[in-house]
Order: sequence, then structure tokens, then C-alpha cells
Amino acid sequence: MTDVRRRDAPGVPRHLFVLAAVSIVMLLAGRGADAQERPRYGGELVYVVPTEPASYDGHREGTFALVHPLAPVYSTLLRFDPTDRTGTKVVGDLAESWTVAKDGRTYTFKIRRGVRFHDGSDLTSKDVKASYDKIVNPPADVISFRKGQYTAIEAIEAPDPTTVIFRLKWPAASLITALASPFNWIYKADILAKDMHWYETHVMGSGAFVFVEHVKGAYWAGKKNPSYWDKGKPYLDGYRALVVKDGNAQVAAVRAERAHVQFRGFTPAERDSIVQALGPKVTVQESPWDCVLLVGMNHEKKPWDDKRARRALTLALDRYQGSQALSKIAIVKSVGGVQVPGTPFATPPAELEKLAGYSHDTAKSRAEARRLLKEAGVPEGFAFSLKNRNVPMPYEPVAIWLVDQWRRVGLQARHDFIESTKWEADLREGNYEVAVDTQCSYAVDPDLDLYKFQSMGISGNNYGRYVDQTLDDLYQKQSRALDAEERKKWVRDFERRLLDEETHYAYTLQWHRIIPHSAKLRGWTITPSHFVNNQLDGVWLSE
Amino acid sequence: MIKYIIKRLLLMIPTLFGVAVIIFFLMRIVPGDIVELRFAGESAYAQKENLDKERVRLGLDKPIWQQFLTWIGGLLRLDFGTSMWTGAPITEEIRLRFALSLQLAIMATIVAILLAIPLGVIAALRQDTWIDYTVRIMSIAGLATPSFWLGIVFILGLLIVFKWLPPMVYTPFWVNPVQNLAQLIWPALAVGYRYSAVATRMTRSAMLEVLREDYIRTARAKGLWEKLILSRHALKNAMLPVLTVIALEFAFLIGGLVVTEQVFNLNGLGMLFVEAVGHRDYTLTQALVMLVAFVFIFVNFLVDLAYAWLDPRIRFR
Repeated sequence: MTDVRRRDAPGVPRHLFVLAAVSIVMLLAGRGADAQERPRYGGELVYVVPTEPASYDGHREGTFALVHPLAPVYSTLLRFDPTDRTGTKVVGDLAESWTVAKDGRTYTFKIRRGVRFHDGSDLTSKDVKASYDKIVNPPADVISFRKGQYTAIEAIEAPDPTTVIFRLKWPAASLITALASPFNWIYKADILAKDMHWYETHVMGSGAFVFVEHVKGAYWAGKKNPSYWDKGKPYLDGYRALVVKDGNAQVAAVRAERAHVQFRGFTPAERDSIVQALGPKVTVQESPWDCVLLVGMNHEKKPWDDKRARRALTLALDRYQGSQALSKIAIVKSVGGVQVPGTPFATPPAELEKLAGYSHDTAKSRAEARRLLKEAGVPEGFAFSLKNRNVPMPYEPVAIWLVDQWRRVGLQARHDFIESTKWEADLREGNYEVAVDTQCSYAVDPDLDLYKFQSMGISGNNYGRYVDQTLDDLYQKQSRALDAEERKKWVRDFERRLLDEETHYAYTLQWHRIIPHSAKLRGWTITPSHFVNNQLDGVWLSE
Repeated sequence: MIKYIIKRLLLMIPTLFGVAVIIFFLMRIVPGDIVELRFAGESAYAQKENLDKERVRLGLDKPIWQQFLTWIGGLLRLDFGTSMWTGAPITEEIRLRFALSLQLAIMATIVAILLAIPLGVIAALRQDTWIDYTVRIMSIAGLATPSFWLGIVFILGLLIVFKWLPPMVYTPFWVNPVQNLAQLIWPALAVGYRYSAVATRMTRSAMLEVLREDYIRTARAKGLWEKLILSRHALKNAMLPVLTVIALEFAFLIGGLVVTEQVFNLNGLGMLFVEAVGHRDYTLTQALVMLVAFVFIFVNFLVDLAYAWLDPRIRFR
């Protein structure tokens, strides 16, 4: 599912394609080499982080800016398989193995022996329990950012030093994914017992790297943990994460080989600039990204209270043409539904085409859109505001595309490009007609990706301001279905209701993650999430 | 003179208080708040419970007047409090960036003075010659060229021609002078050039004015050596307006180099300022505004003192 191919596009210099081809060959060669090559020890990985977190506590924060520099320092109970390109396969990190009871309500994890915190103390089930108690049932003055994902957990027990048991109130299909969250770092129980806020300002984990320092606004540094439980790892001597906030400066850092990589993503133009400058010294990895821009329609404002008008907005979009045009200039590409294309619960293209606005017969869809608008009493040339946040990539090009698409069915959208904070506040308060909204998760998982779309009152991020009991029921059903096929069915039903029958929201195009990195960087695989695969224990530098 | 200094120092208090009132209330009317920004970010499960907890922790649940009094009370004790975003003491946040911003401001000022004063004087002395025209073109180009644009040109030039980029992490001068200068010389040149353009034009026009004064004619009539006339009588008097321009520009550089800092990835006060406003970090933004206001007022005060030293007429008045 990861796209490492590059296609010719009119108007792009030929030499870029030659260089791109070289990089792909390098990548393919590199992939093969990764498999055969023996990892090389030594060296310092230098990467760029575009922003900084407010605190050091993973349980409290929700930004990748914390995970990228500090994930190498911590261990989690479970993790996403660093070699899995879908970013959905969960493997043990501190957990050596686990079993699930037949009723799906008891999960028993065996914790590895011999794991030590960086202060030399042993890590046991007591620490796992204390960390998860903080996440699931935080004290009154402690904030747990993702507490809402663990409502199914009734109790956490640590009967012996190597066993942790999670007892659930009901079966939860996403529990294993939720326990692999890259934010759920295991902290030392004794420290938490003394001060629940200690980790907001201090760093001390059990991961492959030991924290050295963080100079605010400048860099983070870590060095190899010689006592790491996974003998032989890590390969690197250390890492340095440079804080580089300006996009051009990030590109310049990679171009000038001051940094090996920036793990979040670059635009197509930035990728081309790096490939052009470095040629075979760069490898490009690309993947659909678990982020998407949505068209939010305020159900409390006319005519968007009428599902015919909402449906017309999605029918007007030619997503396939949009994908071709926008993917050359913006970080969007795949046409997808509520799950990232190519991942286990994603709707196959043939089935996706049956949803409103996903047909290849655009003329027919647009004729239908016009008919629906007329039926709903929306006049030709109807004008409305499309509120968008003033973040150029990819918000601006996608919104311009939307305005053009809607013009083709006789709608006049005015693009209101407003400051991010104002945009956020307006969406939350319902002060908009139609808006560009967004959905981004730390992992591809139906519970995470669909949570937003539940009724107002259940989901704090439902800016469509609707209440749909049927949709809420479908969410619960998919969330509790332990059988993958059954869950798939509920996810499809949810998708159909959300995007077709009620058209509460319209999906635009899946974001597209582009990572051009130094060809020296090995052992790192792109995934659809920029939050995962940052522990760096399996990463090495070829020279 | 001492009475004058005390009077000026006392006048700083109401000015700073006015700034404090304006910035405090201005921040409160800007849409969006820090709590929503923190907890409605990526991968969010925005929970009202978390938003409420954080508002209480930051004291944002209290009435505005109470928040204002608490803050002003802290200011009177020179306690700026903690950043609402990071929770770190504001003095620490500023200290981390101040050295870089101050050094850059000093370096840019040196570049500007080295360019502006000789060029301005020469242009005035050789008025309407090719030298004058060249200096005027250079200064107009400097005024028309934003320093961040020049910075981008420097970066691209270094990157494309020399395949080299200045260091991306600040190293204090006393730790490694070479590394330090390799990083800061480029932004100093970019900023210093634009800065010098203003000062060059001011030096030129001030010199032209002074050179037409009666006392210069008298000095020449007395047969004084031309170099002495220029340095002791003309330049000293022409420096009054130039000093004002240089000083105000210096004060601006302390917190105003936002885009240049971004282009060169400098961890300075300008970037901190923008981030603080972007995060709606009220306490940090307020502290930074107070700092910049203080720098402006204090530099103005020093300029006024320098005026008195440079011009006896002011001293005697």
C-alpha cells in the first residue's frame, strides 16, 4: 500500500523524473538491502521536528511533536510493528505475550523480565498498572488526553511482577490498538506515587535511548541505552532532534545533509527539490496518510439542514480528477472512505464507487446534484461561505478545488481563509455554514477514526451539529464486534450512513505522506501515521 | 541633570502601566483560547472535562479583573509567573532566547554603523557625484529589500553554490566563537544591510544640513583643518538624528526579527513572541510585550541622555 512509484506529469522537468527514478531504484535496492544487510552500529541520527510540545508527559499531550523526540526514550506495553507499512499490526513491546478470554473481557499480558528503567530500577507490572491507572482513571488534578478511549476498562490488576490484567466492562475491538498508543509510555510507579505531575517536566523511561537534554526551541538529544532489554539494539549511538519550525528551513536542512530526515512529511514540491539536490543520496518513501480534510456542513443552518443539499455537495466532487491534479501540488492523493485505503477495514474501490460522490460518472453525479438542489429549493447561483483555516498545506489548495467543483453545480462558495484559532472556535461554536474540517488519528483504527462523527454531545468534535442515534448505534456495534468480518460490516454501514444516506460529512482526499530521507537511514518504514514508528530501536545508518 | 534623569525614570512607570493594561485586555479579546488550542489538537478526543480542568489550573475561570490584579501584583514584585503553555518560568523561557537576540541585534547594529556612517558622510561630502548616487541607490535598495528576503537569498546561495548551510543550533560565542559567528553572521548581514539603509540616508541628510550651518563656515573661515571640522563640529552634530534611528532600530531588533529568525532557524525572542501569540499564551505574551516596551523606553532614555552629552545646548536648557 505504500507508494514508492512516481508518475510523469506534464509540466514537470524531465530531470526530476530521472532523479525520482534513481531514488526509487535506490529505495527498492535499499529495501532489499535492508533485508540482507547487517545493521551497522554507531552514528547519530539527526532529524528535524517542526514544532514543540507543551509538556513532556505523553499521557497529557496529543501532538507528534512530543512523540518524535521522546518515543525513543520510552517503552509501551504494546507497539505497532515497525516493519508493517499499514501501521495496524500490533506486537509486544514490554508485553512478551498476551491472551484474551473467550468473552473478550479479560486481557492478560506477560511482561518481559529484565527490563530496566534508565535509573537502574526494574520495570515490573506494578509500573504498567500505575501508568495505565493514570491514563484511564487520572486523579482530579491530572489530565489524561485520551482517557475517553479507555471507557471499556473496568479494572487493571497486577497479580505478580510479570502479569498485568485488564478487565473490561464490555468487549472492545480496539483495545489492543489503544494499548499500542505511541503516547502510552510506561512510567515508574514509585515516581507517580510521589508526584503525578513529575513526568510533565522530567524524562525517565526504559526505552532504547536515554534522554540527554532538551534545549527549548533548539534540539533534543538522546544516547544509546546499553541496558536495553532487546540485546543488540539499538544500533545508533544516539539521536538529535533539531527543532526547525520553518518549512523552507526544514527542506534546507535535509538538502544540505544537516539532517537525515523529517518524520512528519514534506510536500511534493519539497520532495522534488530534495531529490533534485541530492539525487541518489536520497530515498523517498510515500504512503497514504491517516489524515483527511472533510467538508463540514452545519446542520443547524439552512439549506444544510436538508440532506438533499448536503448530498449535492458531495455529488459535485470529482474526486478522481481531483486526486490527479491535487497530488502534484498538495499532500493529498488517495480517494478513500472512512478508513485509509489499503488498511484492513478500508472499503475496496469497487464498493466505494457506490457511495454518493465516488462514482466515476461525474456528469451523472452532477446532474443528480443539480436535481437535488432544485428539489431542496436551493436556487442557481446560491452563495455561501466556506470557512477554512489559514494553513496553506493542504487546506488552501483543497478548498480552492472544492469551490471550483461546487461552481459546476451552480453553487457559489466564498472561501473565507481565517486564522486557525478563530477557525477552531467558529467550528466549535457552530458559527459557520460550510467549513473545511479535519480528522487525523495516531493509528488507523475504526474506533479512533469514527469517534468524531458520533452525535453532538457524545463526540466533542462533531462540528456538523447533528444527532443521529442510528450512527451512534453503528459505532457501538463496530466497536464491540470482536470478529473482524462482522466489524467490517458495521464499519461499512457506518460509512454508508455518514457519507451517503445522511451525508453528515463529505470526505475530500486522503492526505499523502511523503518522506524523502537520506539514503544512509536504514531500518525505518513509513506508515500511514506520523505518530508511530519513532522508537528508533531498529534504525541504523549505513555510513 | 540628576533631576532630569529622575524625572525621566519616574515617567517610565505610567508608560509601562499603560502598556500593561492595553496588552492584558487586548489578549483577552483575541478569539480562541489556550485551553482549546492545547486539547483540540491532533489525535484529539476533545473532552470537556479536560478543558475545564485546565482552565481552573491556569486561573482562566476567575473574573478578568482578578486575573489582571494577580498579574499586576506579580509584575510589581518582578515576578512574571509561568508560561501558560509550557508551565516553565517565564524568566527561563526568555533567558534561553535573550542571548541570541541580543547578540544578533548588536552584530546587526555594528554592521549597520560600519556601513551607514562612512557611506553617509562620503555621500554628503561628494553630493551629486557618482559616489553619492551609488550610495543613494544602495540605500534605496536596502530600504526596498526585506531582510528576510535577503536572508533567503543568502541561504539559497550558500546551499546551491557551496552546498553548505549555517549551523542550525545556537552555540554561545564564549563556547565556540567560530561556530557562533558561522551561524549569526548571515542574519546579521541581512538585517544590518536594511538597517544601514535607513541610517545612511539619515547620516547623509544630517551631514548636508550641518555642513551648511554658520559655525561650519566660521570654522572654515578660521582656517581650521578640514578633517577636524568634519569630525569635531560636523559629524558630532549630525549624529543626533542618526543616533535616534540607530537606537530605535536596535530596540526593535530585540523582539522584532520574526521572519528572519524563522528563515535562519534562530531560537530568538521574535519566534518566541509569535509562538506565544499563536498559542494564546497570555502570560508569556504579556511578559514579552512588557520586556520589549521596557527596552524601547530605556533605549529612548539613553538616547536622550546621549543627546545632552552630544549637544551642549540641550544640556544647558
